[in-house]
Amino acid sequence: MITAGHAASFTATLDRDSISLGESATLSLSFQGAQPNNVPTPDIPGLQIVNSGTSQNVSYINGAMNATVTVTFSVTPQRTGKFTIPAMRADINGEQITSQPIELTVAAANAPSAAAVNSGSQVAFMKLVLPQQKVYVGETLAAELQIYLRDDVRSIANFQMISSPADGFVVGKNAQGARFQTQAGGRNYTVIPLSIALTVTRSGDLSLGPFNASLIIFVPSQNQGGDPFFSQFFNQGDQKEVTLTTEATSAQSLPLPTGNVPKNFNGAIGDYTMSVTAGPTNVTVGDPITVHVQISGRGALDAIRMPDQSAWNDFKIFAPTTKTEISDSLGQAGTKTFEEIVTPQSATVHELPEFSFSFFNPDDGQYHTLKQPPERLMVRAGGVTPMPAIAANKNSAQESQAPQDVLPIKQELGTLTAASGPLILRPSFLAVQALPVIAFVAAFVWRKRTDNLANNPRLRRQRLVAQLVEMGIGDLKKCAVENSPETFFTTLFRLLQEQLGERLDCPASAITEAVVDDLATGGASEELLGEVRELFQLCNQARYAPIRGSEELNSVAAKFEKVAHELQSLSL
Amino acid sequence: MRSCLFILIAWACAGEALAADFTADFSSANQSYARGKYSEAATAYEKILQAGVVSPNLLFNYGSAEFKAGNPGKSIAAFRDAELLAPRDADIRANLGFVRSQVQGATLHESRWQDWFGQLTLNEWTLLATAALWLTFLILAAKQYRPALAPKLGSAGGLFICLTILFGAVAGLQAVEHFSRQSAVVVSDAVTRSGPFDDAQNAFAVHDGAELSVVDQHGDWVQVADGSGRTGWLSTRQVELIPGA
Repeated sequence: MITAGHAASFTATLDRDSISLGESATLSLSFQGAQPNNVPTPDIPGLQIVNSGTSQNVSYINGAMNATVTVTFSVTPQRTGKFTIPAMRADINGEQITSQPIELTVAAANAPSAAAVNSGSQVAFMKLVLPQQKVYVGETLAAELQIYLRDDVRSIANFQMISSPADGFVVGKNAQGARFQTQAGGRNYTVIPLSIALTVTRSGDLSLGPFNASLIIFVPSQNQGGDPFFSQFFNQGDQKEVTLTTEATSAQSLPLPTGNVPKNFNGAIGDYTMSVTAGPTNVTVGDPITVHVQISGRGALDAIRMPDQSAWNDFKIFAPTTKTEISDSLGQAGTKTFEEIVTPQSATVHELPEFSFSFFNPDDGQYHTLKQPPERLMVRAGGVTPMPAIAANKNSAQESQAPQDVLPIKQELGTLTAASGPLILRPSFLAVQALPVIAFVAAFVWRKRTDNLANNPRLRRQRLVAQLVEMGIGDLKKCAVENSPETFFTTLFRLLQEQLGERLDCPASAITEAVVDDLATGGASEELLGEVRELFQLCNQARYAPIRGSEELNSVAAKFEKVAHELQSLSL
Repeated sequence: MRSCLFILIAWACAGEALAADFTADFSSANQSYARGKYSEAATAYEKILQAGVVSPNLLFNYGSAEFKAGNPGKSIAAFRDAELLAPRDADIRANLGFVRSQVQGATLHESRWQDWFGQLTLNEWTLLATAALWLTFLILAAKQYRPALAPKLGSAGGLFICLTILFGAVAGLQAVEHFSRQSAVVVSDAVTRSGPFDDAQNAFAVHDGAELSVVDQHGDWVQVADGSGRTGWLSTRQVELIPGA
C-alpha cells in the first residue's frame, strides 16, 4: 500500500492530441498520493481503448515520500473526427477526485506524395492499382494492392487492413502474389503484391479506396555501437508501427448492352467454354439419361445457372446437381458442372435437343452463345411385365387377355386383423414344439426300462412276486373277513414260499421253515427271522387246529404284510 | 378359465364395435371411389388406416384408390401390406401384379428361387417345418412304443426327417430375408444420390412404383439397390418402407 505525505491528485493525459487514422495514441491516468481504489476506463464510440500496463514511481524529496501510480491505455481510432475523453472520477483514500476532459483529433491518413515516394525517403508505402477504368455491372475483376518496403526493412509483422472502402464493388477473396524488386529515388524496394477480388454491383461512377493498413516493420537500430560484425547477428533493430495509405481510385461502370441480347441469356458474365456429354443413348422409354454440362472459364461462376431447356418437352427433367471447382486463388476462374437426369417420355424421341448457353464477355463488350448440337438417341418402347400366374383368371377363355384395370373394390370392411409377427418369435409357439420331443424321450425311457426288465429274470420275478404279495395280502384280508382259516393259511403259506423263494433265488416249492436261517446272510434281523418262523409255525398249526377267529386272522395278515415288506427291502 | 373366456369375448366385442364405428367411413370412401373421386377416396381410406383399423379389404381398396389417383408407389405399398395380412388372397395378388406391370423403368426382380420360396409366407414355411418335425418325433416315439412297427415306419421316418430339414432350411432362409432385408417402394419419381445428403451427385433415376431393396439406412436417408445392382440414396420421404415378406 502506497501512502504519501502529499495531497492526492488524479490527471489524465494523451501523448498526442492529434493523430492519423491507423495510428495509436497513449492515454495515461496518473494517481498521485496513494493507490486508487478504482481505475476508470473510458468507453468512447469510435475509439478502441485497451489497457496496456501499470507502473509505479516512488521518490523522497526532503524526507517526504512522493508516490505515483500510472495506468496506460492504447487508444486506436476507428474513424476520423474529433473525440473527447470525458472527465473521469477516481476514489483515492476515500476522496473522489475528477480528471480534466481531453480532446483527440483523428485526421484521415494521406498517401505519401509522389515526390516523397520518388525521393526514396519513405521506408514503406502502399499503392492501389485497378487494372481497368471501364467495367460492366456483374463483372468480376481483381485490383492489386502493392506494399513497398525499402531495402533497410529487415522484416515485417502484424499486417492489418484498417479500412477498404469500395463504393459499387463487393470485395471478395484476396491472395498474395510473388514479391519483386523495384527502385525509387536510388533505393531498392521490395514489392509485395496483394490481389483483391472485386465484383461490380451497380452502374455509374464507382470509387475504390483509399485503403488503410498498418504493419510493424523492423529496421536497423540507429544506436548500434559495438562491433559491426556482431551487430549483424545480435542487433535485432528497432520496431516501428507504420500506417500505409493508398490514393483513392475510380472506375466507370456500364450497364449490360440491351441490344442483341440472346433469348436464353440468364445473367452469366465472363468468358466461358462449354462441353456437354450424355449417356446412355440407347434406352427404353422412361430410362434415365445422365446429362453432364461443364462450363469453364473466368467470371462469377456462382451466378451461372443451368442453361435453358424449354425445348425439352419430350423429356422428364429432374433437378440437377451442381459442382464448382475453382482453379485460381481469387475464386474467379474454374469449372461449374451440372449433372442432370432426364428420361424420354415416348419412343418417338430420336434425339437430345440442342443445348445452348449465352454469356456476356466484358473484355469485348459482346454477348456470345455456345451451342451443343442435338445428339442422336435410340429410344425403345417400354415392355409390360407379365401377370403372375396366381393372379391370372381361372377362366381359360380369358387367360390370354391381360387385365386392363385393377379389380373392383370390396364393399365390406371385412375382418379386422393385425399383422401378426412371425410364428418363430412367439414363445408359446416355440414351447409347443417341445411336445413331440418330450413324447419321444418318454417313449425312449419307457422302452429302455422294458428292455432292461426283459433281460433280467430275477428282477422280473422280484416284480412279479411283489405284485403277487400285494394281491395275496388282499386275499388274506378277505379270508379273514369271511373267517375261512383253511384258505387263509394255505394262501399265507404259498405267499411265504413265493416271497422267500424270490429272496433266496430258489424255487418256491422248495421253501420250508428250514431255509429261514439262510436269510441271515442277507442281513435279516433276528426279530424278522423269528417272525418268519412264527408265520410258518402258524401255518403248520392251522392244519391241526384250524378254528380261528376273524380278529386273529387279521392280525396274522397284518404281521405277514409287515414281514413281506421287510423281506423285500433286504439286499440279497 | 372363466376370466380368460370373458377377456376373449370382450376382445371380440371390442373388435366388432371398432369395425362398426368405421363401417360408415368405409362406405363413404367406397362411394367417393364409385364417383371417380379417387384422391378423395384414397384420403378417406388412409384416414381409417391412421385410426388403427386394419383389414385386408381396407388395404385392398386403399391400394386400388391410390392406383386410380395416379400413385402406383403408394398403391403397391398398400397391396403389399394387404398381402402380409392375407397372403393367399387372389384378388390382392392380381391387383398387385397389375399395378406392378404399369410401373416404368427398372425395378427389383426377385430371383427364381426367391420367387419359388415366396409362394408361401414365412409363417406357412414355419408351420410346414414344424409339422414335419412333429411327425418325425411321433414316428420315432411310435417306434419306441411299438418296436414291431419299426420296419413299416422306417422309410416314413426318413422321409419326414428329410422334409423337416428341407422345410426348416427354407423357413430359415425366409426368416433371414424377413429380418435382414427390408424393401422400399418409391412413391414419387426421384433421382437417387450417391450419398445421404441433398447435394450429393445424382446416381440414377427411379420411377413412382419402383420396388427396391434397402441396403442401409442413415438418418432420414435409405440406401437402395435396384435389380441391376445399382445403389443410391433416397430420402425416406420419397419411399415407403416395407418389412420383408
